[in-house]
Amino acid sequence: MSGNLQVLLLDDEPIVGRRLKPALAKIGCEVDVFEDPELALAKMAQKEYDVVVTDIRMDQIDGMQVLEFVRERWPRSKVIMITGYAMMSLAREAMEKGAFDFIAKPFKPDDLRRVIAKAAHALGSDIDFDVVEVEKANG
Amino acid sequence: MPLIIVSADDFKQGDEISQKVAGTLGYRYLGRDLLHYVATENQVSEEELARALDEAPGLLTRRARRQRLLGLIEAACLNVLLDDSVVCFGLAAHMYVRAVSHALKVRIINEPEQRAEALAEAEGLSVDKARKQVMRQTKDERRWSEETYNLDQTDASLYDMVISLGTLELDKAVEIISDTVGYRKFQPMTYSRKLMQDKALAAAVRRELMGQFPEIRVEANDGTVVVFIQSLKKDQRKKQELVRQIAGGLPGVRHVEVHIIRDLVGQAAQSSR
Amino acid sequence: MVESPIQGNGQPPPEMAPQVTEEAEVQGRLGLARDAEQARRALLNRPRFSVRLQIFLGNALAFLIAIAIAIALVASFQRMESKIRFLEIVNDYVMEVEQARRFEKNFFLYGTNLSDAQDNVFKAENILSRNAEELADIMGTGWREQMLPNLHRYQQLLEKLGQQPQSEQALSKNERLRVQSQVRAQGQQMVSAALGLLSKEKTALTEVLTRSRQLLFYSVGLLLLCMGLNAYLLGSRMLSSIGRFGQYANRIASGDFTPLTPTRRYRDEFTELALAINSMIEELEKREAVLVQSHKMRAVGTLTAGVAHELNNPMNNITLTAHMLQEDYADLDDEERLEMIGDVVGEASRAKKIISNLLDFARESGSQLEPLDLPELLRETIALASNQIKLSGIKIDFQTSGNLPRVHGDSQQLRQVFLNLILNAIDASSKGGHIHVLVLPADEPNYLAVKVMDSGSGIPAHILPSIFDPFFTTKGKGKGTGLGLSVSQGIVAKHSGRIMVSSQEGQGATFTVVLPVTTIPAELGAQQ
Repeated sequence: MSGNLQVLLLDDEPIVGRRLKPALAKIGCEVDVFEDPELALAKMAQKEYDVVVTDIRMDQIDGMQVLEFVRERWPRSKVIMITGYAMMSLAREAMEKGAFDFIAKPFKPDDLRRVIAKAAHALGSDIDFDVVEVEKANG
Repeated sequence: MPLIIVSADDFKQGDEISQKVAGTLGYRYLGRDLLHYVATENQVSEEELARALDEAPGLLTRRARRQRLLGLIEAACLNVLLDDSVVCFGLAAHMYVRAVSHALKVRIINEPEQRAEALAEAEGLSVDKARKQVMRQTKDERRWSEETYNLDQTDASLYDMVISLGTLELDKAVEIISDTVGYRKFQPMTYSRKLMQDKALAAAVRRELMGQFPEIRVEANDGTVVVFIQSLKKDQRKKQELVRQIAGGLPGVRHVEVHIIRDLVGQAAQSSR
Repeated sequence: MVESPIQGNGQPPPEMAPQVTEEAEVQGRLGLARDAEQARRALLNRPRFSVRLQIFLGNALAFLIAIAIAIALVASFQRMESKIRFLEIVNDYVMEVEQARRFEKNFFLYGTNLSDAQDNVFKAENILSRNAEELADIMGTGWREQMLPNLHRYQQLLEKLGQQPQSEQALSKNERLRVQSQVRAQGQQMVSAALGLLSKEKTALTEVLTRSRQLLFYSVGLLLLCMGLNAYLLGSRMLSSIGRFGQYANRIASGDFTPLTPTRRYRDEFTELALAINSMIEELEKREAVLVQSHKMRAVGTLTAGVAHELNNPMNNITLTAHMLQEDYADLDDEERLEMIGDVVGEASRAKKIISNLLDFARESGSQLEPLDLPELLRETIALASNQIKLSGIKIDFQTSGNLPRVHGDSQQLRQVFLNLILNAIDASSKGGHIHVLVLPADEPNYLAVKVMDSGSGIPAHILPSIFDPFFTTKGKGKGTGLGLSVSQGIVAKHSGRIMVSSQEGQGATFTVVLPVTTIPAELGAQQ
């Protein structure tokens, strides 16, 4: 991968995409936002993303299915699960299925940025995100 | 890396297994040594702390005091468990670290018969007497957990894994635990780390307030602390202010909310005066 | 292991629950107390006619009849006795007269024994005069004129004969013969008169005997009839009452807690039983109200977990938006800022809505009957459970046939029933399962049916008959009270409906609630 970190963000809550796209863009991510899991899967069938951020509870397709699909299709991609229905069993299931991380809603933009920075680091392409600095700026 | 929390019906075996697991994995071992630190930090005696952990409350036990001692231990223990890769034993962590996905909780049990035989040999008792003593120990263990945390610590559903030393040798148990903790399931993640931070913060706030408010419950979520205390209506404002003052000054606390649970007993006592 | 949601903040404040319960109980109690008091008054406000009194009256009547029979018998015995006595007298008299006539005959043949005949006549006269009273009793005061003149005349004639041979006034031979024939005729007349009297009295005695036998016969018959009637009345009274109370017991067992009201015009021991049963009903209903309420709070507790999770979505939207607004405030233009603030406002009200459904369900508890739009009620119920449905990863679809009549019922309680069925269906379904909810006209006219179908593993046939039993549960310890279906059945029964289940192992279960449609057009009109 050259240049920006390729991120796919899938959440059936439109506001999540609207806010996170610019938030992640600021740390050098190129974000494709999806609200419909089917469309997201169709896109991922063709394109490999560095990081996939997905909600778990969605109407048609479950985030776990998205995770399984990505692990199967693009083993290198890091999948980050975000959910309002966080529970220990769900978290363990996600980890066992190969999720990179699991974040409970509600979270702050920096929480996700931090995890994405970690994922980028794991991928060997560090991005420009200094956790400490941003936190200081926000008080 | 994950946390391993061990609970055992036999203290010595549990301790040995925990230390061996820590050695095998290169994890930090957190055991009763913590009590020394808690004792010096809070000017209480180490023996008293150990007693609170080992003995079920009796008729003469001062419950508020006991609760406070356990609160001190809990806060100190959770503070250490914020780090990864720790094997924790003997600090009742299996009772207060719940629903945290990266904490592997293990219960080590023995066949009661074998325990009785071992006890008879060690103490020079008759097997019958030893058997009775084992039964009493089990009952005490249950009572201790029920009185303190409203849970039965002998209930297998509290744990991810129960290993019977009646079937498996001690070293095999060490091996099994070390293997199991390698499952991805038990890897820490943002969510579970945050849960631990919330728990540690709640325990820290509770520790600071327990002196004034023995019947206190604290919940924390990302720096927001919700404190439940009992109060008579007339003291309500004063107490809320006091809680805000104490809790607000603690590191990591961003916002304090105080909920009053009506002290019905106190209210009745006052109105009948 | 019990899993908790990531935070407990979504739960309602702990002091709310008891408050709601109390309120419901107070309202319920007032209504109950009023009904019960009315029933009590109606029951007591009747003339008293106790079973004890009926038994007493029956026995007293039989006793009176028996006494009357005894008196009648004694009287008729007395009459018979006097008749027999009279017959004896007449008999004696006849015997004396016949004796006198025998001596008279001897005198005519051999001229002897005239004095003996006179003696006998004297004796006969004696008999009559000795028994003058009895004779007067039977024959009236005229008996003397009937009997004595004949006797005296006979006596005179005998005397005449006796004087004759020696005395101066002796009679001629012709005269003698004339007197002789006179004596004979007089004697014959006397005997035949006495015999006539005797036979007449014998007939009378037979008549008295027959009559008294008949009297005895009829009066015993009357007594038996009277006793039989009394036994029949008493028995049918008791049996019908017992039967009635049996029906009451069945009715109460089926969950109908309306107090017993009077069905007869009088009150008795069974009234006391009815009063006791009414107070039992009152107590039962109070307890059921508590049970229903506590079960409802359990359902609320279950829903709270779903709500806590569901709240996380708007909370997350608010958190993200607020942070980005803070971070980028300087770089954003007014329009963008306004859009973001609009998002926060919108999401806050969404969060409020998520909680308010549940709060409404937990809070409202006044029991009131009204015409209900069943499909609408189910839509609301499904909305209430929607977080739970989402949490379990289950799909639910709802179908209704259009233009259904309304049902008459308590929306709160029925919602609780349907919620319970839906939550059960959720529990029974595995992830990815489907729940179908249908509202349609029932097979029988004037009833609507609500069907809740799950695609779970079904209910094994051997436990199917027990699933409505109180405390029957297939869920693990601490997960179910086993009261849900039992409480639901109680509520449905109160609405004159039925709740049924059909299930085949491996093919899910279908619960059907059948409710009668409202038949009160006035109220329907008022509602619209």
